[in-house]
Amino acid sequence: MKILIIEDEKALTDSIVEYLHEEGHVCEAVYNFNDAVEKIQLYEYDCIVVDINLPDGSGLDIIKLIKKNSKSLGIIIISARNSLENRIEGLEIGADNYLTKPFHLAELNAHLKSINRRINFNGNEQIIINEIKLLPNDHTVFINDKELKLTRKEFELLVFFISNKNKVITKSGLAEHLWGDYMDTADSFDFIYTHIKNLRSKLLKEGCADYIKTVYGVGYKFDIS
Amino acid sequence: MKLLTKTSLNYLSVTLFVFMFGTIAFYYLLRHQVNQNINIELEKRKNSIVNQLLSAHESIAAPTNQNEKILITPLNELSYPQLNFYDTIIYDQINKKYIPFRQLGFITKFNNDSFYVQIYKSLEETDNLIIRIFLIMTVLVILIIIALLITIRHTSLMAWKVFYDTINKINNYDINSHNEFSLKQSEVKEFDDLNRNLIAMTDRIKKDYSNMKEYTENASHEMQTPLAIISSKLELLLQSQKLDEKQMKAITDAYDASNRLSKLNKTLLLLAKIENRQFPESKSIMPTSLIESQLENLEDLIESKGIQIIKQFDENLILQMNPYLAEIMLANLIKNAIRHNIKDGYLIIKIIKDSICISNSGNELKIKKELLFERFHKQSSSPESLGLGLAIVQKICEVYDFKIDYYYENNLHNFSIYLNKSN
Repeated sequence: MKILIIEDEKALTDSIVEYLHEEGHVCEAVYNFNDAVEKIQLYEYDCIVVDINLPDGSGLDIIKLIKKNSKSLGIIIISARNSLENRIEGLEIGADNYLTKPFHLAELNAHLKSINRRINFNGNEQIIINEIKLLPNDHTVFINDKELKLTRKEFELLVFFISNKNKVITKSGLAEHLWGDYMDTADSFDFIYTHIKNLRSKLLKEGCADYIKTVYGVGYKFDIS
Repeated sequence: MKLLTKTSLNYLSVTLFVFMFGTIAFYYLLRHQVNQNINIELEKRKNSIVNQLLSAHESIAAPTNQNEKILITPLNELSYPQLNFYDTIIYDQINKKYIPFRQLGFITKFNNDSFYVQIYKSLEETDNLIIRIFLIMTVLVILIIIALLITIRHTSLMAWKVFYDTINKINNYDINSHNEFSLKQSEVKEFDDLNRNLIAMTDRIKKDYSNMKEYTENASHEMQTPLAIISSKLELLLQSQKLDEKQMKAITDAYDASNRLSKLNKTLLLLAKIENRQFPESKSIMPTSLIESQLENLEDLIESKGIQIIKQFDENLILQMNPYLAEIMLANLIKNAIRHNIKDGYLIIKIIKDSICISNSGNELKIKKELLFERFHKQSSSPESLGLGLAIVQKICEVYDFKIDYYYENNLHNFSIYLNKSN
């Protein structure tokens, strides 16, 4: 995927670019409004990641511009503003996701993967990793073409893992993905452990290789290398 | 007491006081004046009588007119004749009543004999006149007082109308509303000054308020961005293959701490926003559906603790509040009730009439009840718990004038929110 990152904090942009680059995306970064508008008019992108507060303009105006030119590309807002109104406003003018800073890079990556599936496969695609076949829209998983029954949370976990395969994913990153703000981090760690234990044993039982590795004290890694 | 009533009462009491003493003084002054006039008249008559006696040698016919009555007595018959002016009462045979007279007694000589002469002047007419003048004056003064009172009250009422309008508008003033704060024009300079100053003041407050709001937003922005950089850099670092376990652990700790800091920042900003009443939007909310969705979100937590949920819902209860705040309020109470629950405990949620009561089983508190809603007061030393949940609940209750109450009974912690503070 070709992604344009519009964010005035260079250090943050660098992190995002580095993380996404490893995922095989082509990333370009701009640090202000004017450069962003220029890039969007000159080149085609699959997705933009845009900050609302830019030194010379608002990220919302960039989204409006894109929607006016009816370009169908994925839009993810990253903003420090976390009020409900900001969120609703962003989504109403056509953004796909609204991430509040600070966000987990794994979370951003998972959203980009989901946008990628929507744009490039009309949402009908399947994710195949070795013996695992995943149909994200039908919420079904096949191991060696045999359907595996998973709970909702287990399924979400698996998709998140596969979206961020070969990456160390922290427990708090997992917790926020699964429960958002609903559960406090302390409470959720135990459930992550339980859900992962269940998911792993279900996968193993169907003859799937043991991909889910525990990174001691840090989190987990879906290791297919 | 209204200002107008007070001024009217003051005015009335002062005028009545002045009026009372004034009328008494007036009466005596009038009386004195009349007496003086009569004295002068009597003096004149005395002179003319003396002159007549000196010039005439024949006896003077005694006048029949009572007014002109003269009494002449030889001096030797009287031992102590009353001289000068004095008042007396004489019985009138014709009208059969006592009539007040002013009398002047003097001694004069006639053919070498001394006589004591008394001349009289009836006071009946002048008395009548005095009373009439007095009555007319009294009625006039009373009429003036009443007219003045009515005029003062009326003009005051008209003038104060603007003032009451201003008071009413201040009372209903909402800094969050975007309506223009305008006040009525007054003919009274003072009220106009007041209104002008009030408008200037509210404008200033509004400006400060919006500045503060902006600051709140900016603070969030400015703090979250560096935090985002920290956590993204740490997350990237974690992907490095060259780290040993110890280094990984250190990075994770820093990563978790930055997440915690960001959560703390968000929560404190939320508290500030609630305090600043920055959630003006209000909707009708069914607490039951909110509670159900919260319980669903916390399903894992409830199941793992084996908590039994007892619900007793009165579906008629509707909350009039900001949907986001309603969600936070109920979510925090439910989360609190689950976290501090014991294994296989109970969570009882009751919605009765105009109160929401959330109870959970658990051991008695080690901290004081009063400290429960304080910021950063927590019983567990869990670093992940911020200790702000109940403080937020209390702040929200303050905003909506709800009463929140806590008590411990039969091994149950009970948090009740009363929508009507009076209960």
